Amino acid sequence: MLEGRPATRAPAPESHRRALAVVPPAMPPAADGERRELWLAAHFPRLPLHALLPATASARAAVVTAENDPRRGIVACNERAARQGIVAGMGLNAALALVPGLRVEERRPVAEAALLDRIARWALRFTPVVSIEPPCTVLAEVRGSLDLFGGAMALCRRALSGLHDGGLQAALALAPTPRGALWLARADLGLSVTQAKAMPDIASRLPLSCLQWPAETVTVLTALGIRNVADLLRLPRAGFVARFGPRLLDELDAGVGRRPEPRRRHIVPERFDEQHELPVETDAVPMLQPALERLLANLAAFLRLRASGIAGLRVDLLHRARAPTRIRIGLVRPAGDAAHLSGLVAERLARERLPAAVTAIRLRSGVLLPLSLRDAGLFERGQSADPEATARLLDRLRARLGQDAVFGVCPVPEHRPERAWRIAEPGGTTPLPGQWPVTRPERPLWMLVEPQRFDSWEGTLVTGPERIETGWWDGHDVRRDYYVALTRSGVRLWLFRERPPGSGWFLHGVFG
Amino acid sequence: MSDALAELLRHPALWQGGVGGEMPAAIPSGFRRLDECLPGGGWPLSTLVELLIPAAGIGEIHLLLPALRQLALASPGEPRWIAWLAPPHLPYAPALADAGLDPARMLVIRPRAGLDLLWAMEQALRSGACTAVLGWIGAADNRALRRLKLAAEEGRSPGFLFRPAAHREESSPAALRLVLAAHDDGLDVEILKSRGGMPSRIDRLSIH
Repeated sequence: MLEGRPATRAPAPESHRRALAVVPPAMPPAADGERRELWLAAHFPRLPLHALLPATASARAAVVTAENDPRRGIVACNERAARQGIVAGMGLNAALALVPGLRVEERRPVAEAALLDRIARWALRFTPVVSIEPPCTVLAEVRGSLDLFGGAMALCRRALSGLHDGGLQAALALAPTPRGALWLARADLGLSVTQAKAMPDIASRLPLSCLQWPAETVTVLTALGIRNVADLLRLPRAGFVARFGPRLLDELDAGVGRRPEPRRRHIVPERFDEQHELPVETDAVPMLQPALERLLANLAAFLRLRASGIAGLRVDLLHRARAPTRIRIGLVRPAGDAAHLSGLVAERLARERLPAAVTAIRLRSGVLLPLSLRDAGLFERGQSADPEATARLLDRLRARLGQDAVFGVCPVPEHRPERAWRIAEPGGTTPLPGQWPVTRPERPLWMLVEPQRFDSWEGTLVTGPERIETGWWDGHDVRRDYYVALTRSGVRLWLFRERPPGSGWFLHGVFG
Repeated sequence: MSDALAELLRHPALWQGGVGGEMPAAIPSGFRRLDECLPGGGWPLSTLVELLIPAAGIGEIHLLLPALRQLALASPGEPRWIAWLAPPHLPYAPALADAGLDPARMLVIRPRAGLDLLWAMEQALRSGACTAVLGWIGAADNRALRRLKLAAEEGRSPGFLFRPAAHREESSPAALRLVLAAHDDGLDVEILKSRGGMPSRIDRLSIH
């Protein structure tokens, strides 16, 4: 497929023809360098480390290992560890052999994403067009900001020193295309391109590793004798698509500027954040109500304008010379209705004991979420038809009783009775009946959390024994004979005896 | 009209134009002998039903199971909860699934304080978000019970109260009060009070 036959002439096989159909026409490189974009890429090779350890923790050699990896390969290490010979990709055992007192952390992708998000927010001070390239690069389009910051070099210096102050080690690069900037930053050559016409030339000198393509693709390309981007560009386009798919060709074109690459902009989510000073300091909860109502009405208006709801809310009660009392309220389902929110806040406030007089109230919303709007039915009446009612009830109960006092139950396909269920979030999904164990004798509707010793009981055994012997593989094996028993007072119980017999009776359930 | 059609038309999920989509006043209990003794031919809906029991576990839930199943089926639109307030033990999900109730619709509420319990039951009844509310409440004064009854009427949810048999002599605003007693081969059901019906008793009602 890599023979480069002209596509128009050949009676190509079916698969080949399909591949040809998706080959995009290559744009001629912008001849005059008049492309108006200039992208700054900041690449953080040690992001996994930055996300877990503060910059001050550099006195000791530290590494971050891959998560869920039996070999625990090292993904990043700090300067001190690098000086002692540790490199990324090394196994943890090898690293520990080199540096016995090594500090080891497991990678946390969530923390990395959060840090990248913070960096992107910080980058918004240079330009409104910022984009995140996971796992560890932030891109910013800075052409329009160059004059403001005194040129490309000054801007880079400023960004670098800002990142350095934050304890972050970054490689910066400028290029007319976002993908090109990304490649240059990954190469970390201290190289920047500001002219579009220079881009293909510079890019073609970059090694394959800058592209961060899938390992198997790189293996195949290396076997073909391809070392850098220039080699890649020499491959016939149709054959390349047929072999590696159109996405990688698009990336290649985007990198050298033959094809525009629209980037998703990083937009800081909107939040409601308002503070209301109380006219008189007070420590009586009812006196807070009017101010709170006003804030909540503002919040509801704010949400209505955006057709959004919130799933979380924070109320800060500010005190003089003392940390504010924080009340967090979580909702089961996004809501934007002032009456509902105010009911929840009132429930929570009623339980709160104020340590001091309140001087001001601050209301802060969580992230805005789209609200599913719904028309009222023509024939429905009463509130029983309200689909929000189920979620609202849950919110209200939890606001007063606490999160743990309200829960659901979920069956688990398992033979051991005490493990055949678990506490679950109410309204979750139930495993399909097909996943149950085979049909079984009747089970009691009530279950004791722990079986109780039940030696002195009077009554008769109705059915049994049902023998349950399983679970030897995880150390919680059970060997029991279960019976249905009827006590003198008419209560049907589910009892068992351990096997081999001798240890007496245990009560496990009540049929109810 | 054939019996099958009549039965279909009685189904609470079936909305009939002109009738106004009102909820039926009662839902069959699933036990013929009990239905015959109850006005409306079953458990009254949108009100409070009190079940007085000598001990937890004599079959009081099995007595309600057919009605709970029906109510869950009849609930239109968004699936609603079956709320369990302060049950003596935890409802066992596999047994519920075997009995034909979707465990995902169960809402177990275990408040710490007694006052919270009445409050939570009132909220659950009033919200209209529950197909049935089952509450285990010991002592409660007449005023508290009346509030629960009003909440049930407002939210149009049936509330089933399980209370010790010791409370049988106290007055109660519940529309229906039953005293249950266990037997080897079934339940003795005594109808203590029945709005629009007569006190009566049913011996040896087979519930299994």
